[in-house]
Amino acid sequence: MAGSDVIIVCEAGKGQTESANARLIIVGLELAERWGGRLLCLLAGDEMAAKAADIAPFAAEVWVAELGAQPYNSYAHLAAVRLMADEIRPGAILFGHTFMGMDLAPRLGAALGVVTVANCLSIAVADDAVHVVRPMYRGRILAKLALTARPIVATLQPGGVEPAAAGRQGIVKTVTVPANANPKVRPRRTIEPERTGIDIGKAGIVVAGGRGIGERENFTLVDKLAEALGGVPACSRPLVDMGWFGTNYQVGLSGNTVKPKLYVACGISGAVEHLHGMKESETIVVINKDPDAPIFKVAHYGLVGDLNEIMPALIKEAKTAKSAKSCSA
Amino acid sequence: MKIMTFVKHVPTQAVTPRIAERRVHIEEEGLSYEVNEADLYAVEEAIAQRTALEGSVVAVTIGPARAKEALTVAYAKGCDNGIHVLDETFRGTNPVLNIHAAAQIARTQEPAMILTGIQAEDDLQGQFGIALAELLGFPVVTAVTGISVDPVTKVATVVRELGAGIKEEIEVDLPCVLTVQFGIRQLRYLPIMSIFKMRSRPVETIAVADLALPPAAMLADVRMQVLELSYPDDGGNCQLIDGSPDAAARTLMSKLVDAGVL
Repeated sequence: MAGSDVIIVCEAGKGQTESANARLIIVGLELAERWGGRLLCLLAGDEMAAKAADIAPFAAEVWVAELGAQPYNSYAHLAAVRLMADEIRPGAILFGHTFMGMDLAPRLGAALGVVTVANCLSIAVADDAVHVVRPMYRGRILAKLALTARPIVATLQPGGVEPAAAGRQGIVKTVTVPANANPKVRPRRTIEPERTGIDIGKAGIVVAGGRGIGERENFTLVDKLAEALGGVPACSRPLVDMGWFGTNYQVGLSGNTVKPKLYVACGISGAVEHLHGMKESETIVVINKDPDAPIFKVAHYGLVGDLNEIMPALIKEAKTAKSAKSCSA
Repeated sequence: MKIMTFVKHVPTQAVTPRIAERRVHIEEEGLSYEVNEADLYAVEEAIAQRTALEGSVVAVTIGPARAKEALTVAYAKGCDNGIHVLDETFRGTNPVLNIHAAAQIARTQEPAMILTGIQAEDDLQGQFGIALAELLGFPVVTAVTGISVDPVTKVATVVRELGAGIKEEIEVDLPCVLTVQFGIRQLRYLPIMSIFKMRSRPVETIAVADLALPPAAMLADVRMQVLELSYPDDGGNCQLIDGSPDAAARTLMSKLVDAGVL
């Protein structure tokens, strides 16, 4: 039946996340099963063969569009997705809520004349409709929506469990898209990030400051707590935007993804893009004056109050705890 | 060169809106509003480009009567003209209507460049600028962190984010839409008096009904219906630690030591 297959647009490029693909496979399989359709995957970029082999056990078909020298060209990606959507006529086309997904999904939605639903936490079949849950109002409120038109074009928040091993062996096929999909847009070069100083992605303990820090000089509290705990300082996007730090210090979708054993978030409200970069940390401590801040939803321990009062106390106690440990060791 | 930019009037970031009794929308009464932060970056960039290239900046807002305040802020930032698409029915929250209304305004204004914020803080959809470009047939580049326009060749050279610190440089022909990333340049502080002064400056108000939008523009609420709004639960994982700062700090550290984290 037309409209029962599900296309997931997976990623393998630099800086893309494995957890986005895992989430797409899990949700895509579930939808396809409920509709009695197939799961199909699109991979567009360069050197996709290895990734295609990883995904083939889960999908009926993996379509590979090799984009060669222009692996990020939005219009080439869009051409590949449209080619596939036109032939398959799927019930849903799902993207990860990554930079690529955020760029492509609305283009596809507009081209197909459907509303794109961004940033979905869940997508589930319910009678004649599909129900999705997604954040609104900076993540302070969740909205449950009913979508009645197909195809559904949505982006899914990465994360969660890995898909269980599947015994399927999907067909991998190569498709060709025009080399110059939109001559009005001409990619010139890729700019790699500067890699200077500490790699916060490798640190075991990360103490990050956000806009709630207030003044620039207050960031010394973050530095000192990081030092006392034996970790590294980091920050959320607004401090990079204000020019205090470079992106090498930044935790989040635009910067670094970290999974330390301890993450301490100081004055960070927890925009979706920030959570993306730290929610898989083993233990998360949040210090914030706003008890409604969305970041508490991913926290293990929370302290509500003024950073200028709590952080000096934490620095003192961290030093004591560390020295006690080194004495007993 | 004419630059067009859009300013959305959204609930202030610092508070959690109250969910109305029917649980399908938020309670507007008593809520304070502000210009969507991402749009302020687009406005700053528009003003900077206008200063460099000469020309004008027209700011547009779509929403109920209160949304006019967003244009007051745009004027205080230096925008030359303001257009208010008055939408009392959906109050600026129907994404499809917004895109079609924006496209109609753009067709009459004929800007060389449209700068939008990357995402609105209320619906978190991030599709406005992209879908607008598709509707207009303009090229679009997203998550832009730098713009340099050559007015002679009518080409913009832009830098955009690809995530994980990686960026890409792209040439794009004008007219185009660019969705502007946070931090493209510093936001200038606006003294409150500068906003007050702009409140009396006239804006052009156009009712949605007068825009002659296609029927498709009104369909969004049929195809995408809000069933329920809720406050996210905390998953039961967060232990809140009370007490004085000293006591709370001591408790936290001992919990971290006991759990083997430290």
